[in-house]
Amino acid sequence: MTGYPEGYTSPRPEWTTGRGLYNALARRADVAAKYFAVFLLDAGGLAALWLLVTYAYAWYVLGITAYILVPWWVFALGVVEGAILWESLGRSWGQKALGRELTPVSGEATPIRRLLYFVLWHLFGLTGIGFVFVPPLHERWSGLGLRRERPSAQAPVPWYRTSAGLFVAVLLVVTMVSALGVTLTWESLRRLFTQAGQTAEFWRALVRPDTTILLDAMRDMIVTVFMAVLATLFAVAVSVPLSFLAARNLMRGPIGRPIYTLIRGAMSIARSIEPIVWAIIFLVWVTALRSPFAGILALWVHSIADLVKLYAERLEAIDQGPIEAITATGAGRLSVLRYAIVPQIVNPYISFTLYRWDINIRMATVVGLVGGGGIGQRLINYIWGVQYRQAGTVMILIVILVWAIDYLSARLRAKLA
Amino acid sequence: MPTPYLVIDGLTKVYERGQVHALRGLSFSIEKGEFLVVIGLSGSGKSTLLRCINRLIEPTEGKIWLDGTDVARLSAKRMRRVRRRIGMIFQQFNLVDRATTVRNVLTGRLGYMPGWRSLLGLFSSQDKRTALANLERVGLRDKAYARVDELSGGQRQRVGIARALMQKPEILLADEPVSALDPATSHSIMQYLEQMNRQDGVTVIASLHFLSLARRYGTRIIALKDGQLVFDGPPKTIDNAKFKEIYGEDAEEVEVR
Repeated sequence: MTGYPEGYTSPRPEWTTGRGLYNALARRADVAAKYFAVFLLDAGGLAALWLLVTYAYAWYVLGITAYILVPWWVFALGVVEGAILWESLGRSWGQKALGRELTPVSGEATPIRRLLYFVLWHLFGLTGIGFVFVPPLHERWSGLGLRRERPSAQAPVPWYRTSAGLFVAVLLVVTMVSALGVTLTWESLRRLFTQAGQTAEFWRALVRPDTTILLDAMRDMIVTVFMAVLATLFAVAVSVPLSFLAARNLMRGPIGRPIYTLIRGAMSIARSIEPIVWAIIFLVWVTALRSPFAGILALWVHSIADLVKLYAERLEAIDQGPIEAITATGAGRLSVLRYAIVPQIVNPYISFTLYRWDINIRMATVVGLVGGGGIGQRLINYIWGVQYRQAGTVMILIVILVWAIDYLSARLRAKLA
Repeated sequence: MPTPYLVIDGLTKVYERGQVHALRGLSFSIEKGEFLVVIGLSGSGKSTLLRCINRLIEPTEGKIWLDGTDVARLSAKRMRRVRRRIGMIFQQFNLVDRATTVRNVLTGRLGYMPGWRSLLGLFSSQDKRTALANLERVGLRDKAYARVDELSGGQRQRVGIARALMQKPEILLADEPVSALDPATSHSIMQYLEQMNRQDGVTVIASLHFLSLARRYGTRIIALKDGQLVFDGPPKTIDNAKFKEIYGEDAEEVEVR
């Protein structure tokens, strides 16, 4: 740049550098994501409403099971057009849920401009063409754009006077109505009130427990507690390192973010599969016989998924100040971890672990029901064997155990806080 | 002509994908032993400037010559060696609340220790003696084994100073060190900084909100506005007109006594 007179050269345009190009792309993706998030919420909500209404109508009026009752393209068109119309002319629930509103970028939001926005959003928004530009084309030409909701001086409209509020209310009511149709029949309702006498055997056990099985049941209970302890301990050993890779604030950049996404995704899938399902999987996997080992594995997997989430969320909430300060002293990465992060998380981690142990004891009983060993397995054996008095006795023991552990873990956690 | 101790040359920092310009081509230099006060409105780039000097924030562009090396271009490993010579104290103190005072102070030595020693927490007895001596110096010897969350704001900032002293710094960055404190405590903290500056010959760069404090303690003042230098000179030369230029037309000067 030397040798040229002042103002003779101009700086290199931003978009000619890799970073500039990346920034430009990311900015466009940002804008598009905001528009599409609102649209997907609206269209998804309308689709759900349509399905449920049709289902309830078909079930109660026509007496058949049906979901859309119209050709699929009519359904699709209706949902998409409905969502666009709702977004253009009013305040949709997607906009409301994400805290956005359609506001004039300049001038007034006249009905003509709203109509123009409706057309332009079809042509350039939904197709994605408009997002090549920033601000996007449909926003430029209609003068309207999705902006963050601004606090206004006017009193808020009550929920039953807004389209979004009414929509959610109708959706809830319709969901309940169609769910009733699926789950409830008059026959089962009648039984609820007439067949209570058949459970007499259970109630009898509560006042007259079978003490001959107590010793065996106690042994199984100890197995259950140990299943929970082992599952929790092994889960902690895996979760603590994983939680650092699953914390958004620690995993930045092109390498860190994919790892974060991968682990968080895997964990949420593992968590959404119930321990009882895991138990069945591991029963098939490790042994054809019923055994506590399969139960431990099931609890282990589910505990890892749960603990990683709890730990990572705590990590995301730590105070960044000490990290900054320790980094500034010239300490290395591991020292920063040891002196700025670890002191902030030790107690919460122990507290979460105790909580999970408490859950695992309850879960160990449930896992036992499918053959994962312990007290649960004994219970289900008695029930299948129509030994209701023994089953009732086991139930009493389980209640006492769960209550005691619950109390213990609550007391310990209160100490840590 | 000898080069100045610290030279900032065309320093630029851009945040949020090119949307926010925190610093715009900032240039100035400091001699060894100066007490430089940086003033300016919130968001004018004071914090960003201080954090660029020890690279807690990566500068987007520009050079930072510290004692003849360009800090902005150092590798992470060599940067850590440079950071040991740069102490820093913070507005929110940034101490580990659950640890004891002396343990917080000892973390100032981490840059000088081999990795395995620091991971095992094996501070040398020499370091421990120095830590207690530094606590003595800031008047907190009796709180050495108290947990930091039991201390008051002023005491916490003194712990921060003791931690910086552990580094035996050549230069101290103070990011609004007294903004969270009351006026009397503010003066006591500023006097510790002044003492470090005069007795130990530490170059101090402090960002402050109150002009009266800046005038009282600074040997030189620079003012930032929108990431650009709008004033650079001795404290006496800031008059009312200059003040309005820095802080805007509606500003009134507030005294801290």
